[in-house]
Amino acid sequence: MKWRLRVVHTTGYRYEGAVSQSYNEARLTPRSDDRQNLMVARLETVPASRAYKYTDYWGTEVNAFDLFTPHTELKVVAASVVETSEQAPPAVDASWADVKSPESLDTYAEYLEWTAYVPKHRELAAVARELRKGHTPQETVLAVSKWVHDTLKYQRGTTGVHSSAVDAWQAGEGVCQDYAHLTLAMLRSVGIPGRYVSGYLHTKPGAAVGETVVGESHAWIEAWTGDWWGFDPTNDIPIGHRHVWVATGRDYGDVSPLKGIYSGGAATAIEVTVDMTRLA
Amino acid sequence: MSRATRPAELFAGYLNPRRPHAGAYDEMFDPVDGVRTAYKRLHDSLSPLRPGDLTTRSEALDRALVDQGITFSLSGQERPFPLDLVPRVITASEWSRLERGIVQRVRALEAFLADIYGGQQIVADGVLPRRLITSCEHFHRQAAGIAPPNGVRIHVAGIDVVRDEQGDFRVLEDNLRSPSGVSYVMENRRTMARVFPDLFAKHRVRPVGDYAVHLLRSLRAAAPSGATDPNVVVLTPGVYNSAYFEHSLLARQMGVELVEGRDLFARNNVIYLRTTEGEQRVDVIYRRIDDDFLDPVHFVPDSVLGVAGLVNAARAGNVVIANAIGNGVGDDKLIYTYLPEILKYYLGETPLLPNVDTYRCWLPSEQTEVLDRLDELVTKPVEGSGGYGIVFGPDASPKELQAQRRRIKANPRGWIAQPVVQLSTVPTKVGERLQPRHVDLRPFAVNDGDSVFVLPGGLTRVAIPEGSLIVNSSQGGGSKDTWVLAPRASGVAELSGSGLGAAAAADEASTPEHGPELNVAQQQQQQ
Repeated sequence: MKWRLRVVHTTGYRYEGAVSQSYNEARLTPRSDDRQNLMVARLETVPASRAYKYTDYWGTEVNAFDLFTPHTELKVVAASVVETSEQAPPAVDASWADVKSPESLDTYAEYLEWTAYVPKHRELAAVARELRKGHTPQETVLAVSKWVHDTLKYQRGTTGVHSSAVDAWQAGEGVCQDYAHLTLAMLRSVGIPGRYVSGYLHTKPGAAVGETVVGESHAWIEAWTGDWWGFDPTNDIPIGHRHVWVATGRDYGDVSPLKGIYSGGAATAIEVTVDMTRLA
Repeated sequence: MSRATRPAELFAGYLNPRRPHAGAYDEMFDPVDGVRTAYKRLHDSLSPLRPGDLTTRSEALDRALVDQGITFSLSGQERPFPLDLVPRVITASEWSRLERGIVQRVRALEAFLADIYGGQQIVADGVLPRRLITSCEHFHRQAAGIAPPNGVRIHVAGIDVVRDEQGDFRVLEDNLRSPSGVSYVMENRRTMARVFPDLFAKHRVRPVGDYAVHLLRSLRAAAPSGATDPNVVVLTPGVYNSAYFEHSLLARQMGVELVEGRDLFARNNVIYLRTTEGEQRVDVIYRRIDDDFLDPVHFVPDSVLGVAGLVNAARAGNVVIANAIGNGVGDDKLIYTYLPEILKYYLGETPLLPNVDTYRCWLPSEQTEVLDRLDELVTKPVEGSGGYGIVFGPDASPKELQAQRRRIKANPRGWIAQPVVQLSTVPTKVGERLQPRHVDLRPFAVNDGDSVFVLPGGLTRVAIPEGSLIVNSSQGGGSKDTWVLAPRASGVAELSGSGLGAAAAADEASTPEHGPELNVAQQQQQQ
């Protein structure tokens, strides 16, 4: 059975002084794959702008837009309708030898790299090795995700947009971005290719058709253990109807939902709202 | 040349068998047959000179350089740009082989870059490992999918070559980002023509003064298809950049605007130049700013040197960035070692110009050999230039070697190693005499999409300290005018120095205000 979901994501910035020029890129359009079908997507900005669309290296649809009228607030509204289904359990359960074969190492090298968000860390690697004992790569992904879920406390405000996996681990708390980065750091340390997924989460499992709930801009991970499959360490749940994916990359930096350059005073993010309505 | 020439006074002790690197190829003297054909006339002109004459000429040369404002600063002191008075001579047939090899290389590297930023077929076909590309620091994912209108990404290449012990040219490294130094090629020629008109009268030296004509043609040919009279600009980081002299010289010779990032802006994916007469659309940007600083939206966000929105304007096909973004993946020194595979894959050819033998530290078996022989090899970072980061095994202390061993083990992808190449030698003024000194050569190639033009000549750098193989001017290196001789029956010959940019010369002589710093320029360009 499928869910049909409408997602309306509102985000943007408020500026201290008038901004006369800004150059931005939004990565907010859901994609299609076996589990998810994008039916329609639209992006609007206030002030109005003309978007230039392209697909980036990671396959993400980018809406680039420039603003030249003076403004003190930028609002971006990304609306879409998608059909989602439960993720089928991973068909293949590759052995450690398969995951670490020279072919895999070469093909998935980018997803084994250390980055500023996903740095190498000796202690985290030791924990990951412990969790791996007696497990297949696939089981290890679940074990690591659970460990991250149990170790971090979900708490806004402790970590920021630039916090790394290690920052969050040391703080003992964080948000979905941190859960994803920490999981990736540990998976990569035991040789499992992992990637960051940016998307949305519908927050009510048994939602009625027509009901609008407050959703979340969300992040989870995908691991390669013979095939790519996703898992949500923040909630310690598999990927299902409630997950709408937008982009994948090595870490948050590759999929940043809204980034830009502007001239003018300091900016603060306006309140992000994600309204999600189950249509069918 | 069967009869050995008795060395003149100037050359006394020149071929001392106990000199360092005696096995190196001397470009003037064959150990058996004496003076080589290429240098016969030059040798005949120099031989009658006495040591004192040499000094007189040398002083005249230094005065001419100071008059023209060609100085460079070494440790903060302004000194005349060290141009040696003995030119480096390359015969027509040697040049023609070199030229063909360079053209072949540029064509293959163009195909490689187009593929890497497109479908990556060479990876899909298993010819190159994917990790080789994805682990390259200068593989810029931001450039994926940008297709320049005429397909050219390497508008200007500087291919560094050396001559090995057999006298064969080998490529030491490719420079596909913003290779610098061509201004010295032109300025060295102007200076030599002023000081040695007699030498030019006896040689048919091919001109280098029309470089800017070729560059402008390439840049105009690269323009978006809608631009009937393309607006080309040169984008410089500004007057404090060590290569500013070169940027301004090229802009002036091409008759185009020299601009800084703040003079340009993007609107709806079109780039405009702010002028006193209003906005002017820009079609082609010959940029001398590194990728990282080109567009704060996609690269270093606090860079003020570049233009916000430039990358997407190029992606939309409304402006052309020359050289293209991300070319560094083509001049990475590890990827360089795969050039034979790259040539075979795209062109179905074998290299006309061989590489220098190179060990890849990222392959475990070769790394072991490198670490075992660290004291006899030269280890180099795969990116970067200007001689920075290079460790010369034979000269390094055990402590330095140990540190280098750790660096290689920590980052095998970051290092390659080469045997010490005993660069060829050319007579160079040292004190009152001419002594063999080691040289390299950077020829410049310009691609206009139809053909690849190689400027006949190039920048010859010379290591001044005895036995030194390090030609960077930061290490006390100098340069030489590089003479490519015209073929005997050709009409392209230039018989004297009179045509060497004489028209352009008059108003330029007094203009340069900033001393070019050869070493720093190359460091900045990261070539």
